[in-house]
Amino acid sequence: MFKSGIGGRITLKLDDAEKQVLSQIFEQMDELLQVTNFDKNADPLARMLNMDGSTEISDDPALARLFPDGYSQDEHASADFRRFTEQDLRQAKIDALNDVRLMLMDSNAKTSVTSVQAQSWLKAINDVRLVLGTRLEITDSSERYNDSQEDESGMHLYNYLTFLQGTLLDALT
Amino acid sequence: MSALPIEAVELDVLTDRPWITLVWNDPINLMTYVTYVFQTYFGYDKPKAEKLMLDVHEKGRAVVSSGTREEMERDVAAMHSYGLWATLQKDD
Repeated sequence: MFKSGIGGRITLKLDDAEKQVLSQIFEQMDELLQVTNFDKNADPLARMLNMDGSTEISDDPALARLFPDGYSQDEHASADFRRFTEQDLRQAKIDALNDVRLMLMDSNAKTSVTSVQAQSWLKAINDVRLVLGTRLEITDSSERYNDSQEDESGMHLYNYLTFLQGTLLDALT
Repeated sequence: MSALPIEAVELDVLTDRPWITLVWNDPINLMTYVTYVFQTYFGYDKPKAEKLMLDVHEKGRAVVSSGTREEMERDVAAMHSYGLWATLQKDD
């Protein structure tokens, strides 16, 4: 868990089991984010400028949640917005994941966390919660602590990540 | 909390800042996380960030910023980077 120490310095303490679980889930998350959704009709210049992203929201509900539409009432504007922003957003998510995965390789049980690393943790944990929560079809806030779901291990993991994110938010505020 | 900053935002929307960023309620993002994002990204004080978060939670959505279309596209992209469900539209 995350803790705030003297002078607001944040530390992260994880046992080996936690590190293993987190490494696995972040690896799966990385695989999911590598599923790129290129616009096959994009011209070479657009491709060079990293503006060849898809113009359509993903069929996968989890990816649709990570990369939602930018406009709710304008399909055309939404397609343009996606073309120009989705690849950067994807890369930012991958960068945050790489940051935290690097920290998990540290063999010490307790490590100090810089403010940049804390932001990476916050976003990476949240992205995994969004994917898991979507897969578990969590539809109401009150179901967050309900373990009677079919996928019990998924629910345990979701609750653990909720707890971990909570400790980080406490340490940050 | 003072109601002044929110009134000021609403006045802006009515006059010369025709685009708005909306954040929509979702069952996954923690209330404390949403509040933290509003404070960190927009620089809102805690009472204002909490008021907006509660609006999102209870009313289903809230206007979190207003400005030019380009500014709102930037805000929406930032909200997406935090995993919040946000859209922009012309205020009418």
